[in-house]
Amino acid sequence: KAKLFATGKTVIDEDDLQKHLDDLELALLQSDVEMGVAQEILDGVEQNLTGQTRRRLSSTGNLVRDALREALYDVISVGQFDFEERIAQADKPVVIIFTGVNGVGKTTSIAKLSHYLDQCGYSSVLANGDTYRAGANEQLQKHAENLDRKFISHEQGSDPTAVIYDAVEYAEANGVDVVLGDTAGRLHTNEGLMDQLEKIDRVIGPDMTLFVDEAVAGQDAVNRAREFDEAAEIDGSILTKADADPQGGAAISIAYVTGKPILFLGTGQDYPDLERFDPEAIVDQLLA
Amino acid sequence: MVLDDLGKSLRGALDDLRGKSRIDEEDVDAVVKEIQRSLLQADVDVDLVMSLSDSIKSRALDEEPPQGTSARDWVLRIVYEELVELVGESTDLPLENQTIMLAGLYGSGKTTTAAKMAWWFSTKGLRPAIIQTDTDRPGAYDQSKEMADRAEVDFYGDPDEDDPVKIAREGLEATESADVRIVDTAGRDGLNEELIAQIERIEQEVNPDRNLLVLDAAMGQSAKSQARDFQEAIGIEGVVITKLDGTAKGGGALAAVDETDSTIAFLGTGETVQDIERFEPDGFISRLLGMGDLKQLTERV
Ligand SMILES: Nc1nc2c(ncn2[C@@H]2O[C@H](COP(=O)(O)OP(=O)(O)OP(=O)(O)O)[C@@H](O)[C@H]2O)c(=O)[nH]1
Ligand SMILES: Nc1nc2c(ncn2[C@@H]2O[C@H](COP(=O)(O)OP(=O)(O)OP(=O)(O)O)[C@@H](O)[C@H]2O)c(=O)[nH]1
Ligand SMILES: [Mg+2]
Ligand SMILES: [Mg+2]
Repeated sequence: KAKLFATGKTVIDEDDLQKHLDDLELALLQSDVEMGVAQEILDGVEQNLTGQTRRRLSSTGNLVRDALREALYDVISVGQFDFEERIAQADKPVVIIFTGVNGVGKTTSIAKLSHYLDQCGYSSVLANGDTYRAGANEQLQKHAENLDRKFISHEQGSDPTAVIYDAVEYAEANGVDVVLGDTAGRLHTNEGLMDQLEKIDRVIGPDMTLFVDEAVAGQDAVNRAREFDEAAEIDGSILTKADADPQGGAAISIAYVTGKPILFLGTGQDYPDLERFDPEAIVDQLLA
Repeated sequence: MVLDDLGKSLRGALDDLRGKSRIDEEDVDAVVKEIQRSLLQADVDVDLVMSLSDSIKSRALDEEPPQGTSARDWVLRIVYEELVELVGESTDLPLENQTIMLAGLYGSGKTTTAAKMAWWFSTKGLRPAIIQTDTDRPGAYDQSKEMADRAEVDFYGDPDEDDPVKIAREGLEATESADVRIVDTAGRDGLNEELIAQIERIEQEVNPDRNLLVLDAAMGQSAKSQARDFQEAIGIEGVVITKLDGTAKGGGALAAVDETDSTIAFLGTGETVQDIERFEPDGFISRLLGMGDLKQLTERV
């Protein structure tokens, strides 16, 4: 071992490595990375490192940390694409449907994205496919008024697919670039409502389905991401409330189980509080 | 499902103890490890899990089990007792005149819970009213009013006023004849100083008998710091866990009651006004550990 030290290299000691991996597992759990996901990521790190002779960094800890950084980056940067470019290329109107569990920030994100699209020079119409929750129509309507956008809705209890269909027709007739379709919040255990989401997906055939979840979500994030992706395949995610929880390990869980990119971060309640997602920045936060 | 596996592996680890009368350190380590996993997967705070498992371990090794108790039942009982100690009883809610204020993170379920609680109090023969002070979220007034209609309870709000403190003051006057006044507030988080200062002002105006923190069952590790921030700002007397009709286990509530030195008051299990239950520790602890009816199991000891 002494010789290896002298050349700046060391064989990683398995016990030593295990201790570091255990510490890192706790650190990941502490930032809300789901346990199964954390374990698989660390298994990968371990396989990369055990028994190998590696250039000795300042300590085993740093070596493991660097390997973890890489592994996390691989997960979180999965499938990143240029959202604006995709909008630019697509036939108009581009139909985007927002899905997710109750209260994560779907409706607010629609308003923010409408503002974002406007900044990029695209017009949009807001369609309220939440025909379920109390005050849902009024909420999205107020956003539409504030932003001066056309708002399409039907009365409570009606078929959400029909609302979005109407909005697509409106956009086609009026040369609007993007249809932003809201859906009611639902838990992934509610089969009836998950079927309804499937129907919207089947009948409308949206250009993009964005799954919305919140940075403050814990271990359950994997379950819901998986179930929503199964009901209506998602193209990417939006992680909201990052201002309330800058660590956002939920992003790792969601990207890992869906294999789809996180596209935006919600960072507040105002319209400009929507940022393009930066995979590197999140990894830095996680390992800070 | 991962969670089912966990309940299973915990049962498995405990079953390994079956038939044994003495427990050695290795047995305890194995069981404690599984318990840690259950709790962590239920979103219980990491530090809390570690201190819990330390006391479980030392009690299992140091204390003498009652005569004729199997090692398995003994360990289970210790786990159960430690969790009961932490969770405590259901928040005491006297059926009398009172004012309750709800606080919590954006979208955690405050407005829905306000209507549910109002409905619950009305089934107890009291006359509730909801006061809506959220001036931030578009449509908050309409949502709250519609929920109050569904719960068939009195309601006060003012969609044209943008000062929540003034709405609170006028709401208290307008609902004077009600027995139980439930004050709903806008969503906020502990890092937002402006919104925390705002709820401090509302709290001063309302002077509630108790403040309840409304917490999403799926909330992760930040439940602890959020609870601490709300505690510092207004003081928290009880926690409501919402959205338990999903697969999330609500373990964040453990850190919340620990931080606020409070208890759990209600559980929310759906979107309608009837989807509310008074908190009952046993079922909740069973859910946390992914095991059915723990109380019954431990009562044998
Ligand atoms: N601080 C902060 N608050 C947010 C963010 N995104 C949404 N919110 C708030 O979260 C709350 C819920 O947002 P909504 O947009 O109504 O969520 P939703 O998913 O449409 O909810 P449902 O339709 O009831 O399922 C509101 O108070 C929003 O202002 C964010 O990025 N940061
Ligand atoms: N499935 C289910 N949904 C719930 C429950 N409680 C609330 N919700 C839903 O969660 C979402 C958010 O609830 P709200 O009552 O608007 O939450 P809030 O805390 O008032 O939100 P803000 O005022 O924006 O901070 C809505 O879609 C509710 O219908 C519950 O126990 N189960
Ligand atoms: Mg919504
Ligand atoms: Mg509300």
